[in-house]
Amino acid sequence: MLNIEDIRKVLPHRFPFLLIDRIVELDPNVKVVALKNVSYNEDYFSGHFPGQPVMPGVLIIEAMAQASIMLLYGSKNKLEGKKLAYYLGSTKIRFSYPVTPGDQLMITIEPVKMVSMAGIVKATARVGDKEVASGELSFAAKEL
Amino acid sequence: MQDIDTEIKDLIAVIIEKDPADLDPSARFVEDLGVDSMMALEILAAIEKKYKISIPEEKLSQLTNLNDTIKIAKEYLAQKNA
Repeated sequence: MLNIEDIRKVLPHRFPFLLIDRIVELDPNVKVVALKNVSYNEDYFSGHFPGQPVMPGVLIIEAMAQASIMLLYGSKNKLEGKKLAYYLGSTKIRFSYPVTPGDQLMITIEPVKMVSMAGIVKATARVGDKEVASGELSFAAKEL
Repeated sequence: MQDIDTEIKDLIAVIIEKDPADLDPSARFVEDLGVDSMMALEILAAIEKKYKISIPEEKLSQLTNLNDTIKIAKEYLAQKNA
């Protein structure tokens, strides 16, 4: 398990855009499971939507992308200690259920194809037993 | 049944969003067809999935046009079937 301080050492993202709270499971080259606690205090809920708070799908994708970086980083020793920039290449995600305040978003990322500085992964987001979003995304890392 | 050349051509055309008929076998992916590194990885992954083969990462930089891609795919397909 990796806590938020461990995650902060890998991901360059910071408030308000660090969208995973904890790595529950990390099996190099096999999968990563990341947790995101969704609170009513999230800034975007005030506008998305007034009186009907729903987590924007693009932010679920962003959380998936951040979890994917954790998988790449955890699988490829060569990345350690390097200053890296990350790019999202493409996404194909289907959203099945709305994510609302109080939900605990559990994101599982499994590689379809991963090379040393990039990957295509299968991403699934669940709240409890319910699959709320799933699909594929591709991303890359580049040394700065 | 389609031959491998046509299959790979169609598969690449879908990924790079071009009409297969416009895909010249020797057109350079990056310079002529606007393929980026993410698309190249997608092409590699799609070929691996379709033919259930594994092509090493080092070969990624050699996927420079359709002809070379078909050649590499056939090479690994032959290894698999050997």
